[in-house]
Amino acid sequence: MTKAAKLQRRGVLLGAVASPFVIGSARAADSLKAYSIWPENYARPMLEAFEKATGIHVNFIRFSSGEALARLIAEKGNPQVDVLFGGPVETFTAGEDQGIFDAYTPPSAADLPGRFKSTKGMWTAIADDPLVFMTNTAFLKDHGLKPPTSWNDLLNPAYKDMLQMADARTSGTAVTRIFSILQVNNRNEDAAFGYMKKLRKNVQAYTKSGGGGTVPVGLGQAGGGIFFIVDALFTRQKGYNVEISFPKEGIGSAAECIGLVKGSKNTAAAKKLIDWATSPAMQSLLAPAKINFLPANPKVAADPNLAAILKSANIIAIDDKWAGENRKRIVDRWVAEVLNAG
Amino acid sequence: MPADAAPAFATPGALGPGRLIGAGGMLGLWLLLLLFIVYPLAMLLVRAFYDGGHLALGPLLSTIESPNNLRALRNSLLLALLVGVAGTVIGLVFAFTAERANLGRRAGRLIDFATLLPLISPPFTTSIAFVFSFGPRGLITYDLFGIGNIQVYGLTSTFAAETITYFPIAYLALRPMLASISSSFEEASFSLGGSRWHAFRTVTLPLIIPALANAFLLLFGCSLADFATPLILAGSDFPVLPTEAYLQITGMFDLRSGAILSLLLLVPAGLVYYVQDRFVAGRSYVTVTGKAATASRRDAVSPMARIVLVLACILMTTVILYFYALLFYASIVMAFGANSTLTLQHYRVIFTEGLPAIEDTLFIALIGMPLGGLYGIVVGYLVGRTRFTGRKAMEVISMLNYALPGTIVGIAYLLAFNDKPLALTGTATILIACYVFRYSPTGIRTTIALLQQIDRSMEEASASLGANTVTTFRRVMLPLILPAFFAGLGVVFIRSMTAISATIFLVSINWTLITVKILENMTEVALGPAAAFSVFVIVVVLVVTGLLNLALKRLTAPSLRVSRIGT
Repeated sequence: MTKAAKLQRRGVLLGAVASPFVIGSARAADSLKAYSIWPENYARPMLEAFEKATGIHVNFIRFSSGEALARLIAEKGNPQVDVLFGGPVETFTAGEDQGIFDAYTPPSAADLPGRFKSTKGMWTAIADDPLVFMTNTAFLKDHGLKPPTSWNDLLNPAYKDMLQMADARTSGTAVTRIFSILQVNNRNEDAAFGYMKKLRKNVQAYTKSGGGGTVPVGLGQAGGGIFFIVDALFTRQKGYNVEISFPKEGIGSAAECIGLVKGSKNTAAAKKLIDWATSPAMQSLLAPAKINFLPANPKVAADPNLAAILKSANIIAIDDKWAGENRKRIVDRWVAEVLNAG
Repeated sequence: MPADAAPAFATPGALGPGRLIGAGGMLGLWLLLLLFIVYPLAMLLVRAFYDGGHLALGPLLSTIESPNNLRALRNSLLLALLVGVAGTVIGLVFAFTAERANLGRRAGRLIDFATLLPLISPPFTTSIAFVFSFGPRGLITYDLFGIGNIQVYGLTSTFAAETITYFPIAYLALRPMLASISSSFEEASFSLGGSRWHAFRTVTLPLIIPALANAFLLLFGCSLADFATPLILAGSDFPVLPTEAYLQITGMFDLRSGAILSLLLLVPAGLVYYVQDRFVAGRSYVTVTGKAATASRRDAVSPMARIVLVLACILMTTVILYFYALLFYASIVMAFGANSTLTLQHYRVIFTEGLPAIEDTLFIALIGMPLGGLYGIVVGYLVGRTRFTGRKAMEVISMLNYALPGTIVGIAYLLAFNDKPLALTGTATILIACYVFRYSPTGIRTTIALLQQIDRSMEEASASLGANTVTTFRRVMLPLILPAFFAGLGVVFIRSMTAISATIFLVSINWTLITVKILENMTEVALGPAAAFSVFVIVVVLVVTGLLNLALKRLTAPSLRVSRIGT
């Protein structure tokens, strides 16, 4: 937005401030609006590249997945944005159930495997993001430990009160983690919850957002935790000494998606963004920008370094349909039996 | 206002335009209170208790019966009680030292500065300093004392961090009161043979009881509503209600039980308010009589007591300054604890990518400030000094948005103003209204507390000379409560720059806030920009409050200078 336009907008709003009863709806429709669940430093370079390619400016604001979803639900009667950009698939399936999306299937969807698109066209994947174990290098050394390679390694009493991971109420990272644990226990819920209750004794804090524990682990205030690879590698890029490892039993991955918000006021532009984000045009920019998501589009090769790290990983599939249907029940059970067990 | 209020509200002989202005203003004030406080809360209650047109108490009962929620309530009460008591005591020590211990100018300034810092900081700053300083690899616990087996998460840290964050509010509330108590009272006690301690206990302490109760109430409310500190520091074993309610709403998309959870907080908040009200009522605290009072030249504290007080202040001041030095350091290194290369990169980020948030925040804060200051003294004066039907209701209503956790106020605004006819979401108006009605109660309480010390005879004198209520307010009371006005201005501005709990729901594509960017940066592992934003906020607030203080000094004639705002 130009300075003059901004000043003009100020003028309009100043008037609105002076008399709150006068409702001005002088909203400019010159740009696309989006809620981004991707952090700003991942989303901004992508959306700026989109503007360069199409001339459409994307005005965006970042929220964590739970907050973005709560907002879209609250704003159903008066939608403020056109697109929900980035964020784990479980947020999009929950949103689909709440009816916050309009169906739109971009051309690239034809190239994607089933788990990367909604059957009704409500969302499409733009990237993939596996979970990892991230541990503090000095902590491991002090305790004579190796990076954990099994879920059971995390139950070691050496980790007592030293793990941080996300709270399932707010974080898509946490929900993906819990479904991973269910999956490696062959969906035997009692076994999975038995494990999580044991793991709880080693957890010092459940953080609001998926990446909330990365700095404490980097600093050594926590020994380790379970994070998305994009956050773990970003922590390492910052210069913190952390180890990244994978459980041999397997760990899940979340598709990062995009969706058209129901009632969007700039539908044509919104569809252009969805087309662009699901295509190689955007996803080939991830690796050069040092953003460690895996491209969802099979036409884009993963960054060699990222591929090397994932080589040893046993990434397992989580059935979105099953996860979506059981999400609320499982999270409620987690709150009741795990979170509040302390 | 109903006509039956006239005899009390308007002073004798006031049937002219003054009364009309008074009545019109009153009507407008009620409209604003209804629109921005009662209506959103009503919408929230409807959402909480009605299910498809039917009253549904099931969710309420199951929320109350849940042992986990009861545990969170207990934890919240314990935390608020501890923070309220400790913060009030520390605030009193600081206020007493500043007013009575004959500190040098420089030492006084340093104390003012150190107590100001937590008050003007964005959320999370103290919590983050705690995470860096304490714990298995904390700078203080490990690097300084070599303790490795200690946890930073839990009650102790949360309590300490909240106390450091909020005690300056007690200091601000108490210092003007101490300043306004003429030392001649203490002098009288000395001359009757009383010891200094005896004078403090029997003269000073009783006189500041309203202010102490006020300070405790403010701190209790702050702690009860704070979700930011527990979010970072409470850990997995000390759940508190505001955080639970916040997570319930933001995460579980469960407005109803989140709303009910936070409504539980209203019970203790209301109880404390009631007790404070009863406790303070019925005592006379008049110390500003309009008669000349000469200042005592005798020291109010013994040399020994002075040393203890000053040492206590120095210790606390050092801790605070250390935290902020840490914050500043985090803003000028590449990555705290990993890469200590000095850089201005984080500041470059906030002044380029972060610039819209900075502009928006300043705009909102500068518009909200005068509105909030004015609203504070008007309501404070009406509630504290006049009698009219609905006075008590006005007092309670004006406190509601402050007493409620910000999360609830935010959600209530979102529900109330999302649809026509009052579609305010996405505007600056909704943010400004939220700040004004949520943070002016400090101005209101300060006005009321100050008024309790001003003898009614001053107004009677004005009235007997033929002045009406409006004139009396403007010519006599206004200069006397000017400090409260400036305190109100300061708090609304500071809060507009630093608060997050309510407005995180109200920011939009069009208007965003620095505090929201800070939270966002923290979740992005971008501590550098978060720290740089915090430093920027602190500098701006320091400059603005400095200017306010200057203006207050200019405006109050020395003979009328009842007190200063502590900033």
